[in-house]
Amino acid sequence: MNLLNETSNPKTNSGKRELLFNFQAIIVTGLLAFTAIAFFSYNHLAIVKGIKVIFAPFLSIVPLLFILSILRDLRKGFIEGDYTKQEIIKFCLITTGITAASTGITYLLSTIGALEILLASIIAILSVVFFLKAKINDILGMSIITGIAEGIIIYMIFFF
Amino acid sequence: MLKTKQLNLAFIITLGISFLVFVYLVFLGYEEIRTLKDVIKIVASILFPVPMLFFVRFILIENFIPENSEAYKLENQKPATGLFIITLLSILGVLKFLEYVAHFNLENHLILAHLINSTTISSYVLNYILYNNLKANGVLSGILMALAVHIFF
Repeated sequence: MNLLNETSNPKTNSGKRELLFNFQAIIVTGLLAFTAIAFFSYNHLAIVKGIKVIFAPFLSIVPLLFILSILRDLRKGFIEGDYTKQEIIKFCLITTGITAASTGITYLLSTIGALEILLASIIAILSVVFFLKAKINDILGMSIITGIAEGIIIYMIFFF
Repeated sequence: MLKTKQLNLAFIITLGISFLVFVYLVFLGYEEIRTLKDVIKIVASILFPVPMLFFVRFILIENFIPENSEAYKLENQKPATGLFIITLLSILGVLKFLEYVAHFNLENHLILAHLINSTTISSYVLNYILYNNLKANGVLSGILMALAVHIFF
């Protein structure tokens, strides 16, 4: 009961950060699904071999599960207090960098011609997100996830 | 009790203006919305501020809700109104300047207008719910009003 209370109504700052991180992960997942649907329906992707579509996701899910099982948590979790100015600047820069990289990656995704490859790539990015969510529960993970989300959105607005 | 009512009214009116701007923008660009691509662009421009705001919120975790007291209001009334007017005029000026000098017409770049609208209103809502900073409120309302005035007139 106590646990339920804590997760549904977090009072501590780290609890709030956790919640925001989870929301961000959900948004990224949604955006990736959105990207897959948009590219699939707009670029008229061909399904070359149907059986490949089924197997494509496992390409990245299997390594992900393996890594998750052998790695211990890389970070201690969210801190309670404020971040210093230097940290804020550093992580904002990281976010900007990841945003640019993610815009480029989305551009590469748009040049893919077959559905199974697109699916494999999207699941690969999704695996990275889940990895970050599971193991790097930290401001670093948050900035990377934010960067990925913003990159997809920026590509969709200005380059699609 | 009355004070919160007044504040809520301002909040709802601002949201209403933003929504009106949005509808008008969609209406303006209706001719251009032909394919799925245009719909995707509009949806993306609306979603644009959300991850960024989450990130900002993540960093600035503390709630700095100042007490919405008479003293706080009196103290911030003038700077907030000043910022509102300054932002309104300067944004309008920049838009007009771009239009006449650089031949850049906002009506032809509706995505940009959508972007400004959604970013401003999301920050406004965030500020309203969590920080209630009257100065920031003034700036954001100024941007929104400038956009509305520019688009409607």
